[in-house]
Amino acid sequence: MDIEIFPHRLLSADTTEGLLNNLEGIEGIKRIVIQGQRLPPKDVNQEQRTITLKGEEIDLQIQTGRILMDIEDEGIIDESIIEDIKSICEDHLPFGFNIHVGTFIRKQKTVTDNLKYGKALNKISKDIVGLTDQNAQLSERATIIKRNKQ
Amino acid sequence: MAQFYPGTSKVAENRRKFSNPEIELEKLREISDEDVVQILGHRAPGEEYPSVHPPLEELDEPDDPIRSLVEPLDGAKAGDRVRYIQFTDSMYFAPVHPFVRSRSYLHRFRGADAGTLSGRQIIETRERDLEKYAKELLETEWFDPARTGIRGKTVHGHALRLDEDGMMFDMLRRQMFDKSTGLVSSVKNQIGDELDEPVVLGEPLEESVLKEKTTIYRKDGEAYRDDKDAVEVLQRIHVLRSMGGYNPE
Repeated sequence: MDIEIFPHRLLSADTTEGLLNNLEGIEGIKRIVIQGQRLPPKDVNQEQRTITLKGEEIDLQIQTGRILMDIEDEGIIDESIIEDIKSICEDHLPFGFNIHVGTFIRKQKTVTDNLKYGKALNKISKDIVGLTDQNAQLSERATIIKRNKQ
Repeated sequence: MAQFYPGTSKVAENRRKFSNPEIELEKLREISDEDVVQILGHRAPGEEYPSVHPPLEELDEPDDPIRSLVEPLDGAKAGDRVRYIQFTDSMYFAPVHPFVRSRSYLHRFRGADAGTLSGRQIIETRERDLEKYAKELLETEWFDPARTGIRGKTVHGHALRLDEDGMMFDMLRRQMFDKSTGLVSSVKNQIGDELDEPVVLGEPLEESVLKEKTTIYRKDGEAYRDDKDAVEVLQRIHVLRSMGGYNPE
């Protein structure tokens, strides 16, 4: 199951950075996809910049419109995790937001993946599947952030 | 009296207001002629108007009774080029929207050609007349610095959520909101070329003011279905057009 945050405004790079850094602290979130309008290079639009997430620099290529989160263990989707997400959103999104629970990120490898990657598809972890649209280079769009071992 | 638009709602009244050329629209801001020329980006301020034909007086035209009936535009007399200004109107209670623009342009602006698309609206006319019309469009109620974009190209954004400052999404960021002053400035001309000096367009209108001024029916504003008169006229037109004069009796 996934959780979607749908803010009532398009988010700036600063808000996205703050929100993602706080969401990162929630137990059980495996993958995060941010979706939105793609922006032209920085010299045309200053919102296109790098954000820092757990010390890792990430190229923010879009103006954030929604945030999708893949929850590690389905049993974990209970009211408490949604409450945690809600309270973080209330801090960062004073203009309002909706939270939806459902399936928003593709979980299975498809024929299109097969055509795109060929034999290499078997070597690709299923954690990578569904993070970007089909036409994009995965390396340009996905960043893997290591989790701190506690 | 001309019947511009049916309906009893505030939205319908606003639509009539824009369409009726006898009503003078409220002036909300001051933008100098030079700044209008800069935003349009068709010529440099102070530059002569380039022409595509000699002035009409110098042309030896064949006799035609229409010529004596119709006074040419100033731009046509001088032989100016035909140039354009294009607007994008946000669905979030922008003062006008493309169809109202088109109808109203035809009522208000002589010798101008209006082109309507779902999210943008273009007006084309001779250059010196265009500058006059553009000034009126930017200074009066037609325009809100946050919800209306002057966009010659890359117009995408009318149906998107607003950004955190309440500005309509613009990939090229032509209009910028300054948090410290609360003013919006044009930093690029309508096709996205950087201006030497930003042109201040003034404060964005309050949400409540926009809801008063808007010509857009919305469920969270005034819903179209609630305007019984407007719906009745629409249905009548629909039936008449469907029947096309066919009378089975």
